[in-house]
Amino acid sequence: MYIIVVGGGRVGRGLALELQREPDHEVVVVERGAERAAELRAELGEMIVRGDGTEVALLEGVGASRCDLLIALTDNDAHNLVACQVATHHFNVPRTIARVDDPENERLFRMLGVGETISAARAVMAQIEATLPEHTVVPLLPLHGSGLQIVELHVQPGSPACGRAIRDLALPQPSLISLVIGPDGEPRIPGGDTVLREGDEVIAVTPEDAEPQLRALIATPHAEPEEEA
Amino acid sequence: MRVIVMGCGRVGSAVAGRVAASGHDVTVLDTDPYSFRRLPRGFRGESLVGDGTRHRSLEEAGIRDAHAFLALTQGDNRNILASQIAKHIYRTPTVVTRVYDPYRAEIFGRLGLVTFSPTNVGADMAWAALVGSDDGGAGG
Repeated sequence: MYIIVVGGGRVGRGLALELQREPDHEVVVVERGAERAAELRAELGEMIVRGDGTEVALLEGVGASRCDLLIALTDNDAHNLVACQVATHHFNVPRTIARVDDPENERLFRMLGVGETISAARAVMAQIEATLPEHTVVPLLPLHGSGLQIVELHVQPGSPACGRAIRDLALPQPSLISLVIGPDGEPRIPGGDTVLREGDEVIAVTPEDAEPQLRALIATPHAEPEEEA
Repeated sequence: MRVIVMGCGRVGSAVAGRVAASGHDVTVLDTDPYSFRRLPRGFRGESLVGDGTRHRSLEEAGIRDAHAFLALTQGDNRNILASQIAKHIYRTPTVVTRVYDPYRAEIFGRLGLVTFSPTNVGADMAWAALVGSDDGGAGG
């Protein structure tokens, strides 16, 4: 696979180091800063190209039209968006990934056809949420375009779901509990009669706005059942 | 008509002055308050310190009921991002984007932005002046 990485900062450099170890990938990293590019070149060699990765001429020079994947990792949302759009619409690059600093821009990026967005802010928030006992729904992966996401929850003692079979839960529609991992670490694909126990870890697919209902049902200790149907 | 101008450089300040002088509401956005010195004397619009690529600044400038948004900063990509926010998130009816790079001006023109490239405009004028002088016009 031919991969163009735009932006040779800490993230871009780290990714380049990873990709370099995989012989199946051909990688070019485009870095605009002269000094930074020279440093990277000394470390990583030929794969570093100095220039503006949002410019048509530069992208043409590095063969963007045969590129399989462009990853835009600068610390500037505007540059990342334009790099991906130029790649998609001028060079027909089939897949793009953009780093997004301002979480507000994620929606726009997806509307404009950027394949995937990586948000440091969102990752940090998820990490923090995971460590807070009262925020026990951990977003794992948004399924772009569908409004659905994959989340992780821990079954809390005394929650409405604890000790009950999945078929008896008033799950928000169209949520699906797709995996239950017991305290022993053994994952199992649940059926309707699978009973959730305290300490079980649940992986579910759920609409993004149904998260509070799911939390109330499974991840809230000693709560009164809400909106039992 | 309500107009927002992003970027109070020479072009932005001149356009804002014209919009205000023709009796319309105009708000000029710039990250640098010192840039507002370029606004014409007696300017009747508003000037606001803010970044037009941020939703909050755009909302403070009144993007929700703006009729037109003009992105006129020095940065092509900033102008393109701000314009796409105005067009796609806030549905501003008229969005005009300055893009120095003729290639990007063309690409984003195809993607639905109204773009103009000062590079092309300047080259056209220089060419016209040159050809004009060849024709025995104003040259000497």
